[in-house]
Amino acid sequence: MTGTAKRLGDRLLGGAMIAMLGLVLAFLVTPLLVTCLLAFDARSFLGPLPPPALSMRWFEKLVSLDYVTTGLATSLKIAVLTTSVDVFIGTAAAVALDRSNFPGRSLVMAVFLSPLIVPAVVIGFALLLFLSRIGIVDGFTRLLCGHIVITLPYVVRTVLASLSGRDRRLTEAALVLGATEHQAFWNITLPLIRSGMVTGAVFAFAVSLDDVAVSMFLTDPSTYTLPVALVSNMRASFDLTIAAAAVLLMAVSAVLIIVLERFVGFDRLLGQGLFRS
Amino acid sequence: MSNAVEFHRVSRRFGAVTAVDDVSFSIAAGETVALLGPSGCGKTSILRVIAGFERPDHGTVSIGGRDVTALKPYERNVGLLFQHYALFPHMTVAENIAYGLRHRGADRREIPDRVEAMLALVRLQGFGSRRPHQLSGGQQQRVALARALATRPGLILLDEPLSALDAKLRQDLRAELKQVLAAVNSTAMVVTHDQEEAMSLGERVFLMQAGRIVQVGAPSDVYGRPGSRFAADFMGRTNWIEAQVTRRETGLARALSRSGLSLTVPDCPSDAIDICVRPENIILSAADDADQHGMANSAKGRILNVALLGSTRQILVEMAGGEQILVMQANRVGDGLGPGQAVTIGFPVDACITMPAGNPTGLAA
Repeated sequence: MTGTAKRLGDRLLGGAMIAMLGLVLAFLVTPLLVTCLLAFDARSFLGPLPPPALSMRWFEKLVSLDYVTTGLATSLKIAVLTTSVDVFIGTAAAVALDRSNFPGRSLVMAVFLSPLIVPAVVIGFALLLFLSRIGIVDGFTRLLCGHIVITLPYVVRTVLASLSGRDRRLTEAALVLGATEHQAFWNITLPLIRSGMVTGAVFAFAVSLDDVAVSMFLTDPSTYTLPVALVSNMRASFDLTIAAAAVLLMAVSAVLIIVLERFVGFDRLLGQGLFRS
Repeated sequence: MSNAVEFHRVSRRFGAVTAVDDVSFSIAAGETVALLGPSGCGKTSILRVIAGFERPDHGTVSIGGRDVTALKPYERNVGLLFQHYALFPHMTVAENIAYGLRHRGADRREIPDRVEAMLALVRLQGFGSRRPHQLSGGQQQRVALARALATRPGLILLDEPLSALDAKLRQDLRAELKQVLAAVNSTAMVVTHDQEEAMSLGERVFLMQAGRIVQVGAPSDVYGRPGSRFAADFMGRTNWIEAQVTRRETGLARALSRSGLSLTVPDCPSDAIDICVRPENIILSAADDADQHGMANSAKGRILNVALLGSTRQILVEMAGGEQILVMQANRVGDGLGPGQAVTIGFPVDACITMPAGNPTGLAA
């Protein structure tokens, strides 16, 4: 093959990669953009794009619906509580798993991470049966339990990753400088795995806010999350309030990320590499 | 005064591997010892046993006369300089240095002064509020040293202290490290695989091989009178000549090498001998130089190649009998030595170290 032909090949391949990237991006972003556009559509029916006029009517309708406000309040409460419990239990579990070296360690780890693989319908149904058997029939408690089960793996996984990425000699350095193992954990290990904890918390919060499949099983007539309420009502009457709700949820996620960026810093959120010598 | 460190028959096994094999030694207070050996010889395990990260399977360890075998790291006062510094990345330089002081119960009001004094000791005044990642490798190393010395440990361990730095910086820091260690006047153990580092920092060198200490001595002794082929090779470049003793005189032996070189060397109880000659002890001159006639050993050969290393050069000479001899000499400009040139090499009797052949490790068979 001549030099020019080789170059041409490279250039074609590079072009193909950029084209592929563009396609994937379009595939991911276009539905979101369409949703945003529709949420502000002034028409009372689903018409062709673009909308002839914009309005806030769907948002007004959204906040006027009782089931939406109730659902949103429940969702937020559940998400906040779930995330707090996850960070606590998940970090403790990850630290224990990281330290121990017993024979069944990988089995225990698999159990901790299994909710990522087991179908949500199975988890939801199993939890419903189990919780009613042990006498928990309150919808809020059931939802909280279910959400902790499905979100805990995210925290365990990200904290485990940051634990295995940290430099163990830092703990040894603390010990040799006179710190007890307990002190070394609080002073050295915990600050270094903070980024893993935050990342896990963000995932847990987002998954909790978004879940439908498990929540469907665990709601009761007066306690339901926003996604469950939206799905139920979409079947009854389809209009663009659901687009408005989607935009609202996106906004919550965006605000969450911006707040985190301010508090934790993006470099810490993503770049644990900084913390290796 | 009791010894600063005392190992009594210490062993440490990891599965099937014996990392430390029945090792005993003692280090006097104020002494600087270099623990030298190839990677995997067990030197790091010894360091970790002294620091308290590993517990020996057998034997006892004392520091300053106190049996510390069963004590946790924080129950001993040992300073440790890590190979890659292990500075706490989320703390400032000052917080790093203060960490040991805070956890060793120093008076809180005195900590800032002590931190300043340590920064001054390693010439980093004004760097207290920086973070480790804002410093160069050499500066990080000095912060690590200040942190290790801040609590005035009776014993400081240095794990490959200079190996993470580039060659030029290493030489500067080696001198500085030596000054600082002398200034704080504490006992020190340098663990290293680099014989230059060991010889320049240690007052005594402990040479390790396969979990055991095979030779102990002043750097010049271990270099100049290696006890085994391993010791000779590990301490520096060397020429080996295999020979057979043909005649003995008082303290001397006449020997004939495989390729027919006739040599006069220090006597050795064995008839089959290995002769070690350091390349810098060999004098090389033009083919018929009369100076060489005074040498106990001289032979003719031809230059194979010349490798220029800056201030020195290595010249590989092929002898008439086929042996290849490496000569190291100061690099002189313009003397025109080059491949193919006929030369004479010579070396005195005391440049030769003889040892019985066939004992490459020097370990008891």
